[in-house]
Amino acid sequence: MPEIVIDGQTYEFEGEHKLLQFIQDLGKEVPFFCYHPSMSIPANCRQCMVKVGQYVKDKETGEYELDENGEKQIRWFPKLQTSCNLTMSDDMVVHTQETDDLVKRAQKDNLEFILINHPLDCPICDQAGECPLQIQTYKYGPEGSRFEVKKVHKPKRVELGPRVTLDAERCINCTRCTRFTQEISNTHQLTITSRGDKNYPTTAPGETFDDPYSMNTVDICPVGALTSSDFRFKARVWEMNQTPSIDITNGKGSNIDLWTRDNLILRITPRHNEDVNDHWIPDEARDAYKLFNENRISRPIQKLDGEQILSSWNNAIATFNEQVADTDKDKILIIGSPHASVEENYVFSKYANLLGIDQPVFTPNIEEGKGDGFLITDDLAPNTTGCKLLNLKEKKASAIKKSVKNAELVIVLSDHLLDRNVLSQEDFDDKFVIVFATNHSDTTKAADLVVPITTAAEHAASYVNIDGRIQRTFPAKETKYSNRRLDLEMSEGRLDRYGTNFDNWRTEENKVDCLPLWRFMAEVSDQSGVDVVYNSGREIIEEIAGLNEAFSGVSYPDMDDNNGIQLSIEGTKKTKA
Amino acid sequence: MAYEFTKEDLKEIEKLKTKYPEVTPVTLPALWIAQNRFGHVNPEVQKLVAKTLDLPEAHVHGVATFYTQYYKEEKGKHVLDVCTCLSCQLCGGYDILNYLEDKLGIKKGETTDDGMFTLNEVECLGACGYAPMLQVTNDKYVNHLTEEKVDNLIESLKNGEQPEYEKIGMPRRNNIK
Repeated sequence: MPEIVIDGQTYEFEGEHKLLQFIQDLGKEVPFFCYHPSMSIPANCRQCMVKVGQYVKDKETGEYELDENGEKQIRWFPKLQTSCNLTMSDDMVVHTQETDDLVKRAQKDNLEFILINHPLDCPICDQAGECPLQIQTYKYGPEGSRFEVKKVHKPKRVELGPRVTLDAERCINCTRCTRFTQEISNTHQLTITSRGDKNYPTTAPGETFDDPYSMNTVDICPVGALTSSDFRFKARVWEMNQTPSIDITNGKGSNIDLWTRDNLILRITPRHNEDVNDHWIPDEARDAYKLFNENRISRPIQKLDGEQILSSWNNAIATFNEQVADTDKDKILIIGSPHASVEENYVFSKYANLLGIDQPVFTPNIEEGKGDGFLITDDLAPNTTGCKLLNLKEKKASAIKKSVKNAELVIVLSDHLLDRNVLSQEDFDDKFVIVFATNHSDTTKAADLVVPITTAAEHAASYVNIDGRIQRTFPAKETKYSNRRLDLEMSEGRLDRYGTNFDNWRTEENKVDCLPLWRFMAEVSDQSGVDVVYNSGREIIEEIAGLNEAFSGVSYPDMDDNNGIQLSIEGTKKTKA
Repeated sequence: MAYEFTKEDLKEIEKLKTKYPEVTPVTLPALWIAQNRFGHVNPEVQKLVAKTLDLPEAHVHGVATFYTQYYKEEKGKHVLDVCTCLSCQLCGGYDILNYLEDKLGIKKGETTDDGMFTLNEVECLGACGYAPMLQVTNDKYVNHLTEEKVDNLIESLKNGEQPEYEKIGMPRRNNIK
């Protein structure tokens, strides 16, 4: 097997590897800016310089040639090489900055060049704290600059598009953003204009950067040149907690991170999962943070004399039980939801089972032609496949309308049926309507009882994407009844752990008065005696895994270890990620 | 004003396309054809080139802005690029530039009101041996400039005459006294 010596250590490798990626995969480091594993390699930042040589072999005998000390002779490449685009070969010898002063010096000097026209406005820059340029300057850069004349000034605060703002002075022209539009999103909207020290990325004159994936360029920008117009100046990186989660705005189930501060989700960024979304998410997915913060239902709502008023949990539970007890079982309709998790739908379906009510129905939320074959799907709901696998009855919108007509008590799970024109206001006339929901909508306004439940950002629950991959969320923000330190599903950030109430980032506000669906149903069980008592999504998925063939072997630890589990589903094809 | 290629231009571009394995490299010659036709490649013209070649507008814009010889805005009929890089500077490049500024009544980077001349200060054009010098509209070099030579040049350009190509021998040992 071919061997390579990196910093005195010998490694074996197979196949074709680029040196920089190989070094990174070993857990070691070489600084770089322009290289990105999912895109072409232009080697234009010149930061990943290493010293490379080759052991000398006698051509005839094939023996290594030795020097006077008996060491293998090395023929060094005449100059330092960029490791990102260097293909590894057998008997290669590599010295990185850790073992070679020349490499160290080259990287330091290169950084000094890169920083010549960089404004160094870290204190007001959004990227500070997660900025490769900042980090690598601290690690490998010079202590100061010898450049004493005026820096080149370029356009600032340029709105490239509706969602991305450019600060051209901060740009180091790594071309990651232009390569993204050329190779990943294929809109070809960005280019580098001018040259020398005056160049910066821009659109063609008069064009806007309205790429549906435009904000990925903000993530891959190694400096603060491209910033999110929405998130600009809202929070510093180190003030926020980062919790892994799943995108709930479409059927792809892109892996995301939720960034929280003071129990508000402030932004959403992609999380790498090469089986689903690689490093990218659509811009729509980032907008979803508003769903978690704004327009939330807090405390149950009941209709009294035609008017909705805030109620109490005790009232809500009592009303729920009364209504179910007082209505003929065949006049109760439970509508599950592709927008709700596997766990929530399962709890409802179990409840229906135990009471002898018909299996819950659901109707997919599909917008034909919306999908682009990449990360945007026709399916607007995150869990349509999950509903199918749980054997909920899939019905067309018209069939749902008909079922509602025949029912007296309608229980709707997290699905805004009125807002998406499946039902209309009249369909609810003379019915008692119970809606479990996270956000206010026309549907909740029409309901007789509204039960606020937790969002994907507040509970651990799993969703099955259109390709049949089951992935789960983690609680990222507290509700009125949860606590970061008591809820073991929750990740604790440094600030939660050490902060005191006197720190300005920590507030008890913004906690929504809502319960996970299974907690509410457990309360319902307490009074009615129907046994659907679960403490967490973890328990529910264990039960599903034991009962439902499609979910066999599924558990939270397994999902966590493998970034989700591919379920075997027939008749569904995997779409391109 | 809407910019359109003539039939001959389009035919030429089609011919260029056959010369390369893909269409991207045609961007450069196509921009030249456009500049020769319209005198410049402003954003509108860049758009036309992109449309003609079926390439992204951003790409054509990037190429056009990279090269200084493509004029991204309307220029005078004759563009005078006066070199003020080191050799020319030492031999009086700035004197020539200032003389032209006074003579034409414009500052560097500007165009005369009648649209005849644009005056630019440029970096080295690789003719250090014949300093000071200037280039006329991306084409002929006028070397060993003096004020009389500049007067003559302006006069002949106004009369519609292009300067002649000037052959200057390399300094050889037997040429040096």
